[in-house]
Amino acid sequence: MHPIDILGKIIAISHSNLEIASRINAILNIITQDMPFDEAIVYTLDTDKKLTCRYKNDKSVLFPLLNEYRSHIGEGIVGSVAQKRIPQGFTFKDVPPRLGCLFYPDLDGYIQKYRAFHFIPISDDSYLYGVLFICASSMERLNKPHNAFLSMVAREIGGILRSNQLLISSKKRISELATLSELGRVLASSSIPQDILNSITFIIAKALNAAFVTVRLSHSFLKIDSQRFTYGEIGSESKEIIKKLEMEVKNQEKTVSLKDLDTEGYRNTTSTSLYSAPLTSKGRFLGTVTIGGPITQSGSVMEGNGRYLIETIANYISSGLENTLLTTKLKDVLKELNSAQERLVEQETFRNLGEMTANIAHEIKNPLVIIGGFTKRLARKTRLDLTENRYIEIILKEVARLEAILDEVLNYVKESPMVIKDSKISDFIDELVFLFTSDSAWEKIEITREYANNISFVPCDDQQIKQVLINILMNAYDAMQGSGKIVIQTGLKIINDRPFASISISDTGGGIDPAIIDNIFNPFFTTKDGGTGLGLAISNKIVLNHGGYIQIHNLIGKGATFIVHLPIKNTTIREERI
Amino acid sequence: MKKARLLIVDDEENIRFLFKEELEEEGYSVDVASNGLEAIDKVKHAVFDLVVLDIKMPGMNGIEALNEIKNINKNLPVILCSAYGEFKQDFSSWASDGYVVKSADTNELKQTIKNLLGVA
Ligand SMILES: Nc1ncnc2c1ncn2[C@@H]1O[C@H](COP(=O)(O)OP(=O)(O)OP(=O)(O)O)[C@@H](O)[C@H]1O
Ligand SMILES: [Mg+2]
Repeated sequence: MHPIDILGKIIAISHSNLEIASRINAILNIITQDMPFDEAIVYTLDTDKKLTCRYKNDKSVLFPLLNEYRSHIGEGIVGSVAQKRIPQGFTFKDVPPRLGCLFYPDLDGYIQKYRAFHFIPISDDSYLYGVLFICASSMERLNKPHNAFLSMVAREIGGILRSNQLLISSKKRISELATLSELGRVLASSSIPQDILNSITFIIAKALNAAFVTVRLSHSFLKIDSQRFTYGEIGSESKEIIKKLEMEVKNQEKTVSLKDLDTEGYRNTTSTSLYSAPLTSKGRFLGTVTIGGPITQSGSVMEGNGRYLIETIANYISSGLENTLLTTKLKDVLKELNSAQERLVEQETFRNLGEMTANIAHEIKNPLVIIGGFTKRLARKTRLDLTENRYIEIILKEVARLEAILDEVLNYVKESPMVIKDSKISDFIDELVFLFTSDSAWEKIEITREYANNISFVPCDDQQIKQVLINILMNAYDAMQGSGKIVIQTGLKIINDRPFASISISDTGGGIDPAIIDNIFNPFFTTKDGGTGLGLAISNKIVLNHGGYIQIHNLIGKGATFIVHLPIKNTTIREERI
Repeated sequence: MKKARLLIVDDEENIRFLFKEELEEEGYSVDVASNGLEAIDKVKHAVFDLVVLDIKMPGMNGIEALNEIKNINKNLPVILCSAYGEFKQDFSSWASDGYVVKSADTNELKQTIKNLLGVA
């Protein structure tokens, strides 16, 4: 086969997707099969600057012997070719006694099989990757075309080794990126700030192979109790230095490494490399992140690009902190809303319970009146002896007891005394709307709120007024049969020189039949199956107790508007004119 | 002296029966109706001195009936008589003349009737 064809084959292999060892070994096989060479061995230069005999052709007999030893640069022929980066050829007669760290006598009979030896550095302009070692038994010396061919092979192998190194460093880069994306994930998760900060330090330390990572927050932020979050052990010698670094970072508002600290003492007493970067958000200094690792550590991602890395990480943490602070705030608001909702649900159940017990009690009250009433009549009509009289007395006493209990149950509004305090009406309307809209049955109901800005606090029993609004909203829901629009507006109205706050609730439920409109405030008036007819009666009573009144605008065919007017003191009106 | 004529309106038969017995014993002449419509019909066609009206009744409830009765004869005294005490204070706003919480003890009812008829 012509050398050009062989080279073609080699180039094809070197650009294939095969794993690096397979590619190089295949190339070495080709040159020993198609060319008059017996051994083709590749030494590679490792990160510890030693040459290792790593790749070979299948038939190589020297490889198992050479493979066990590693040579320094400059050591033996292999070492000197690596050092000088020029090819060298020898005959059996003039080959130097030392191959690498090995002397030929150690290779005994093996080496005597071969007559020509050739060493070609594998390198490019800037970097040495290894040495290609060739042995031939069929000739004294390699000729020029052989040399040219082999240097081309060496270049190909160099290409493979270089791309492998690029691969390794890009893997390192990918792991950096993975670290950052992992950080991003943690920061975006909505867990509590403490957890986030603890995971951050953990992830950074693990990914960067750092000895420790510590985040210090300069303010005590919303709901973050601790100021420092650390993963890993900080030696006592480092603690002081870290504090000094953090101070520097704060003053200079930029990344500071241990080397930047001009205190000689520190530089010499510590065996740690340190970087500290500021955490800032919208120009606000939030704190610092500091990463430390042993100076001699190899394989650490911190190697070489520490400053770049820590700044990227600091950016991530900063924006993450910002998010966290936001979500914490949001969560608080949500929590508040939830508890408000719970309170309301409680109240709502209580209201229904109240109405239900009222109904049951009513059903019991009548029979009780009948039993008691006739027992009394019986007692009056009949002449009874002493024991019989005692029986009657017992029945009547028990009836009276039950009646008293029922009366208490039946007067549930009256039983709860009014508690008047200045209440922000928009707040409890918001609460109610939140309550209703979180119920899926209200999905098809669109609620609009329009709050007047000249009225906010109204003296009232907010629990009772909420009950009124619930009743009106429930009626609107019923009238619209579960779908339509509700508009809630607040306003201020002067009636007979007296100021009133108004809460108006409009629906699109077709309005109230004029034939019944005069009755709707009556207790037990209902047009609904299962309605108690108490909703508006009780609401009206509550509003009247407040010194207010309920007004109705009825648009037949369109909808009804219920307006609750509550008296306010003149002073509760916000001065708009100022 | 002519007996005063009372109309007892209640959807519960035995309440009507109890009140009828108790009030007849007091010397009244007592008629009964079991719902609002029947009561209005009776008020239209007969003369009564006082009506005792239950509030919670199927069909037309007591307060509607009250308004109707007052439309027919605004001078006819009407007492609302309910198991609920809740609205006791509100009776005057509904144009009724009295409010009695239903009880096995009929003394309050009797006293209210006596007072109203005495004034009338
Ligand atoms: N927004 C409205 N649109 C049309 N009709 C209404 C509206 N609000 C109330 N009504 C009428 O007034 C009646 C009385 O209402 P109220 O709230 O007192 O009792 P209910 O709703 O029937 O019973 P409950 O409130 O115990 O469920 C209703 O049955 C309904 O006919
Ligand atoms: Mg209702």
